[in-house]
Amino acid sequence: MRLANFAAAIVFSVAILYVSFVGAGPLPALGPAFNPATGAWTMAFDASIGRETQHLAGLQKTVRITLDGDGTAHIVAQTDHDLFLAVGYVHARFRLFQMDLLRRQGEGRLSEVVGRKALDSDRFELQLGLLRTAEQEWNGQPGPSDRARMAILAYTQGVNDRIAQAEFLHQLPAMFTLLGYQPKPWTPIDSLVVKGDMTQTLNFTDTPLVMALLAKSLGPDLASKWFPVLPPNPQSPYDPGPYPAQPTVAPLPAPQIGSAEAVAAADAYQRLASLPAGLVATGGASNNWAVSGTRSSSGGALLAGDPHLHLTLPAIWYQLTLDSPGYHVAGVSIPGTPAVLIGHNQHIAWSLTDAQNQQTFYYSEVENAAHPNQYQWNGSWRRYDTASYDIPVRGGRTERLTVKLSIHGPVITERGQTTTVWWAGNIPSQDLDVLLGMDQAGDWQQFRDALRDWHSPTHNFVYADDKGNIGMISAGYYPHVKGGQPWLPMPGAGEDDVDGTVPYDDIPQVYNPPDGIIWSANQRQVTADYPWYIGTASNFFDPGYRANEIHRTLSQGAKLSAADMMALQTDTRDFLASEMVPILLTVMPASPARDLLATWDYRMEIDSPAATIWWTFWQTSIAQAFDPWWKARAVPVDRSEMNDSLGQYLESVMLAGSTVCPPEGCGPMPTCPPKNAQECNRIPLNAALDKAVRSTLDTLTKTLGADPKTWTWGRVHQRTLQNLAQITGLDYGPRPDRGDANTPLAAPDFPSSHGPSWRMVVDWGSGTFMGIYPGGQSENPASQWYGDRVDMWWNGKYAPMLTADQAASAPGATTWRLQP
Amino acid sequence: MTAGRILAIALIAVSVIGAIGLFVGAWWIVFVIGLAVGIALPARGAIIFSALFSLAVYVEPLLRDHLIYGLGPTATSLAAIMGYPHQPAIPIVLTCALGLLLGLAGAWLGSASRAFFQPAITR
Repeated sequence: MRLANFAAAIVFSVAILYVSFVGAGPLPALGPAFNPATGAWTMAFDASIGRETQHLAGLQKTVRITLDGDGTAHIVAQTDHDLFLAVGYVHARFRLFQMDLLRRQGEGRLSEVVGRKALDSDRFELQLGLLRTAEQEWNGQPGPSDRARMAILAYTQGVNDRIAQAEFLHQLPAMFTLLGYQPKPWTPIDSLVVKGDMTQTLNFTDTPLVMALLAKSLGPDLASKWFPVLPPNPQSPYDPGPYPAQPTVAPLPAPQIGSAEAVAAADAYQRLASLPAGLVATGGASNNWAVSGTRSSSGGALLAGDPHLHLTLPAIWYQLTLDSPGYHVAGVSIPGTPAVLIGHNQHIAWSLTDAQNQQTFYYSEVENAAHPNQYQWNGSWRRYDTASYDIPVRGGRTERLTVKLSIHGPVITERGQTTTVWWAGNIPSQDLDVLLGMDQAGDWQQFRDALRDWHSPTHNFVYADDKGNIGMISAGYYPHVKGGQPWLPMPGAGEDDVDGTVPYDDIPQVYNPPDGIIWSANQRQVTADYPWYIGTASNFFDPGYRANEIHRTLSQGAKLSAADMMALQTDTRDFLASEMVPILLTVMPASPARDLLATWDYRMEIDSPAATIWWTFWQTSIAQAFDPWWKARAVPVDRSEMNDSLGQYLESVMLAGSTVCPPEGCGPMPTCPPKNAQECNRIPLNAALDKAVRSTLDTLTKTLGADPKTWTWGRVHQRTLQNLAQITGLDYGPRPDRGDANTPLAAPDFPSSHGPSWRMVVDWGSGTFMGIYPGGQSENPASQWYGDRVDMWWNGKYAPMLTADQAASAPGATTWRLQP
Repeated sequence: MTAGRILAIALIAVSVIGAIGLFVGAWWIVFVIGLAVGIALPARGAIIFSALFSLAVYVEPLLRDHLIYGLGPTATSLAAIMGYPHQPAIPIVLTCALGLLLGLAGAWLGSASRAFFQPAITR
């Protein structure tokens, strides 16, 4: 009996201690996690903010940080070094777990903390090479500039000061405790990797692989027609030329894809498609524009910017103002990096959108059958370089990964045809120094000069200054290939290599245009006359509806104000709908649904049933036009993935009074008298519209009921802000929201989790500086600053971007003092 | 000094030791104290004593933090992380249960050891 009792006590104790020390299944080690004094409960202490004096290693002089009512950090330092040290400290104080996730993602170390489910992502990242590039940027020649080196080192010191402090005081963010690990010290390379994460999200693309699959299955003629280099629909390029005359883009032969290339493309495409969202760029959606002083009601230049990204809690942005001898700048930064990316200083304001030009190229390598580790390049055999990595896996064995590297870049697949990828994001760059230079620029010339060394991702940088000037430059690397068809995988033997970039003076740019407005929304920046290839219409550039709508609004003649900028940023008018609905109404029989469309203002508002009818109609039209082709040709690419390009084509033919016929043709055309020829030609279009309308109304009746007035957009379209650690209980939403993929207030997908990640409006005439982002300054879900800005953002409101002095006297402000 | 008073003082003393242990990250301290109590006291007394002190050790920091900062948002957040949004009682109960079970496991093991080894020691 005593033995049994003793054995039972041992078993019970071992069980309790095991789950407490080690955890079980999805449970973390319960002991440290739920220690009420040092475990996850410390997020209550972390969420309380009061006056503080901290002593930090590495500081040269005292730094004052004012946290205003919404947590914006206003840092006043006596040296530039201390400024960046303090930025590192506040970033780590409020976003350390986010920073750790970002560096782990780029360095292929997620599996170490979350287990095998992150292994594909880790393998891919180590193959692609953000870590290799960051190491070259930091350790290679010429290495970072003195300015960037000082900023990154000081920033690193600030992050590590906070890590040491948090570990000593048991104040690490709760997610570390719950996942059972401690953050490693921050390094300069980590900051460069975090910058690389953003480059990859915005710029690394699988489009040439997709184009290869489309060309193989649909045939070269249809692929060229539906997915052309130049957009088939009406566009609003911001830089209409004139352009330099010299290199011309010759018409290229129709693409031919071999079977081995198609196998390789399919393998790489499927592999990339299975990665977590955000690792591969899938089209952009950001807006920015500027209005010169001559066109504004205040007499000063106006600037508006709203970059659209995956909307997460915490957000990708951290808002701050920086004041030191060398810097006076306010705006948003990315935790993990020391510079302000979007904002204003005393003289200039700027924002950015993704420029979308092609920076990813795939090469089919010719390998030596006798020596599998050799490939042919410029007439000789070369050995692949290799890089080996250990990937620690939580709860599993460490995996060894060897990456093969050709002259073009890493091998991405060896199935069918060994394929490598050349990506501009893998060129060591001075991008962080560029950002610091931009933060310090005082006029257009300095701004433009600072951006000269910007590589990737290519951005449309919009500019407005305190003298009434405006400008835009799509700075970045514009790879030029010697030959071939760069939108498809190209032969790797050397004749189609990237041999340079478009000269800086010839990239898209304008300064003080005559009509006093500049705009970008990921559209193709230039007309068909631009002499260099910069990417295809499909999947690189946006279809252009947001740009067209912004251009339409800004061109209306009246003087514009900051309030007009805010109204346009939150406008939901769908330009495509304004083109297509009038065509639809010509064939739609009288009905309540038709009445709703006929009186609609093309705005995708929550309470609009017409918005639902239009959207459903357009999706149905695309499906009815192209699904028969997809089925007949067994296209191995999800058709909905190509909806932007297919919609562009369908829009262009519908505007021309025609439609897309199915593989078997549109049927026999009636014989028409010559005077009715035009009407006659519209018969297939009218039939297609009629079929799509009937299907639309049937679908909506089945799903939303018989009364069209109740088919409001908010019933089908919602938005969610997702927790960065994918904890759904910490999401915001889903909640009905307005907008769609084509509206200035972008809200693609159902539910939408992508959209305006930061809205900023500047009016130099009235001294108005306003901004808002969805989220809050703290990653701590128990903090009042976790999601306190969401409702303001959702309702289209803005908060003033205060200076440090204004913040210090604002209600609810708290001051910290950092001392050596 | 009565036995009750001695026990009360002992209870306070081990609770203070336990609280200090938690504060330096030694969450397992209640198990160790429970083990010692189980060896030192008769089984029933050890179990009751351990239940009381382990609960006191784990509840005290929560109570203190609640009075200073308010634990509502933290409990709600932890519940959401655990997959039970809007049920803030769950992490509180889990934390208290963890402390209690650690203390009881220690006490049980201590008592069982005492019972198992005592005859041999007596001989």
